Amino acid sequence: MTTATATAPLGRAGFGNVLSSEWMKLRTVRSTFWTLITLFAGSAAVSFLICLAAADQYAKDKAAGNPDAAGDIVMLGLAFVGQIAAYVLGVMAISAEYTTGGIRTTLTAMPRRVEILVAKAILLAVIVFVVGLATAFACFYLGNIPLEAKHVGVKLSDPGVTRAIFGSALYLAGLSVFGLALGFLLRHTAGAITIGLALIFIIGGLVQLIPGSIGRWLFKVMPGNAGSVITQFGESTRNADKSFAPWTGFAVFLLEVLVLLVIGAIMFERRDA
Amino acid sequence: MIRAVGLTKRYGDRVAVDHAEFTVEAGTVTGFLGPNGAGKSTTMRMILGLDHPTEGAVTVDGKPYRQLPVPLREVGALLDAKAVHGGRSAYNHLACLAKSNGIPLKRVDEVIALVGLEQVAKKRSKNFSLGMGQRLGIAAALLGDPGTLLFDEPVNGLDPEGILWVRNLMKSLAAQGRTVFVSSHLMSEMALTADRVIVIGRGQIKADTTMREFIAQNATTHVRVRSPHIGKLQELMVGGGWRVEALPDDDGALRVFDATSDAIGDLAGRNGLWLHELAVVQPSLEEAFMSMTADSVEYHAGLDGLTDPTGGPGWNRGTGTAGTTGPSSPTGASSPSGSSGASSQTGPTDPSAGEARR
Repeated sequence: MTTATATAPLGRAGFGNVLSSEWMKLRTVRSTFWTLITLFAGSAAVSFLICLAAADQYAKDKAAGNPDAAGDIVMLGLAFVGQIAAYVLGVMAISAEYTTGGIRTTLTAMPRRVEILVAKAILLAVIVFVVGLATAFACFYLGNIPLEAKHVGVKLSDPGVTRAIFGSALYLAGLSVFGLALGFLLRHTAGAITIGLALIFIIGGLVQLIPGSIGRWLFKVMPGNAGSVITQFGESTRNADKSFAPWTGFAVFLLEVLVLLVIGAIMFERRDA
Repeated sequence: MIRAVGLTKRYGDRVAVDHAEFTVEAGTVTGFLGPNGAGKSTTMRMILGLDHPTEGAVTVDGKPYRQLPVPLREVGALLDAKAVHGGRSAYNHLACLAKSNGIPLKRVDEVIALVGLEQVAKKRSKNFSLGMGQRLGIAAALLGDPGTLLFDEPVNGLDPEGILWVRNLMKSLAAQGRTVFVSSHLMSEMALTADRVIVIGRGQIKADTTMREFIAQNATTHVRVRSPHIGKLQELMVGGGWRVEALPDDDGALRVFDATSDAIGDLAGRNGLWLHELAVVQPSLEEAFMSMTADSVEYHAGLDGLTDPTGGPGWNRGTGTAGTTGPSSPTGASSPSGSSGASSQTGPTDPSAGEARR
C-alpha cells in the first residue's frame, strides 16, 4: 500500500476543511439542485400566475381606493413555493445523512460536531440567499408583466420594494437554517418537513384564534409570520397592526432560528449518532 | 493502540457493554468476537466517539476519539457499508471525506484502485452490491492511511474471493505495524485471520488472549467412549486418574480427558470389556466460543428439542465462509475390546466438528 500522498502534512483538520467538505457534500447530491431549481422557477412561475389571475381585480379595487391585495402580490410565489423549497433544503442537508446512515461516516471523519453544524448553516444561508435574491428579482419582474398590462405595476423605487426583495432573500436563507435546526433536532426528513411546514403555514395562522392579547402576541412571533413581514410592501392592510415592523419581525425570526440552532447543536453534541 | 477502561453503555435498563477492559495492540489483528447483540458494534461506536459511554472511557493512541487532530489519518473504520448517501458517486463520497481531513484528492484515486472500484467510481453508490459497498467502506477506512483500523463484520456479503482479499488485507495491514481490530460472529473466520481474540458476551469481556492460547484452552481434545460395560469401565478409568465426564444427553457415552484412545482401548482389553465406540474428539473453536457466550445469545433458535444431524444449533451455520465443513459427529467404529478403536479427528477450526448435540 502506498503511503506517499496520505502522510504528507499533519496539523489539525480545521474549520476550513469542514467547510469545503460540507460544500462538496451539498453540491454532489441531485436533491440540492432540484430543490434550488424548484425554488427559483417555481416561485417565479407562481408569482407570474397569481399576478395574471389577480391583475384585473387588483386594478378595479385600487381604482376604487379599497385594494384587498397589495403590490407585494408579485412576491407571493416566494411565499408559497420559495418558503417550502428553502425549508426542505435545510432539513435535507442533515436529515438525509441520518436516513442513509451517512452521518456515522461523517462523524467518524470529523468528530467535532458543532463545526459540522456551523459549516452547514453558513453554506445553506449563503447559497439560499444568493438563489433567493435571484428568485426575488425574477418574481418582481415576472409578476409585474401582467400588473403593468393593467397599469398597476410596481417599481423598484416604490417604498419598501428593494427592502422586500433583499428581505425575501434573507428570509429564505433564515428559513433554510430553521429547517436545518429542526432536521438536527428530529433527524427525520418527513417528520421535520411536516412539523416545520405545519408551523409556518397552519399553526402560524391558527394561533390568532386564541382570544385576547396572548393570541395576538403568538400570531406576531410565530416564525413564519415574524420573518415574512420583511417580504411585504405596498398598501397591504392584511396584517396591519397585527404584525411587527419589517426589520423587528426579521430580528425576532432570526433570534428564533438561532435559539433552535443552539438547541440543535447541544442535542447533536450529546446524542449518540 | 486502543484501550478501554471500565467501558460501559446502558440503554435504560439494558446493559449493552458492561465495564469492558481491553487493549488492542499495534501490529496485530485482534478479533472481536461475540454473538449478535453482544455489544460489539456498540463498543466500536464508542471507540469512534459516535456513542457516548455511560461510564468509563476508551482511547485511541492515548486520546479520546473526538480529540484526534486529524481523525482519518489515525483511525480508519468500516462500520456499516450501507451508511453512505446513495445519491453520491463513490468518488465524490470519498472526496467529501478526504476534504474534511485535508487529505489530497490524489489519495482518493489511490484507495479506489486499492479496493478495485475504478470501474464504478463515478457511479452512484445506491446501485452498488453489498460487496461493492463493503469495498467502498474499506476504501474510506484506508483513505487517511491510518495506523489503527476498525472493521465491523467486514466479510459480510462478500463472495469467497472478496473474503480472501479482506483476510489478506487485514494481515498485511497488521504486518505493516498497524492496529487492526475486527469484529465477527464467526469464530472460524477469526481463527484464520486474528492473532489475538477478545470475546464479548452480553456486554462482558469473556476472554482476551492470543488466538493460540484460546485454541489451546478451549479446544481440549477428549476421547468418547461407549461400552456395554460402561459402569465398570468408568470405575477403572477414574481409578487410573483420568477425568471422566458423562454425556447426559447421550446413550451412556463418556468423555475421557487426559487419556489417549490407545490407553483406553488397552485398559478395556486387559479387563475383558467390550467397546462399542472409541473416538478422539477435538471440539471446534466455534463450540468453545458458543459455550463461552451461550448465556449471552439474545435470540436462541427454537431447536432445543431437535437433534441437528450436523451438530449444534443452527444459528451459527449457513454462513460457511471459511468452507471448512468436515465430518460431523465422531462416528467411531463399534469395535470389540482389545482394539484401540477407530478415531475420527477433526481440525480445530472446523465449525461443525463435535458431538451431535450439546
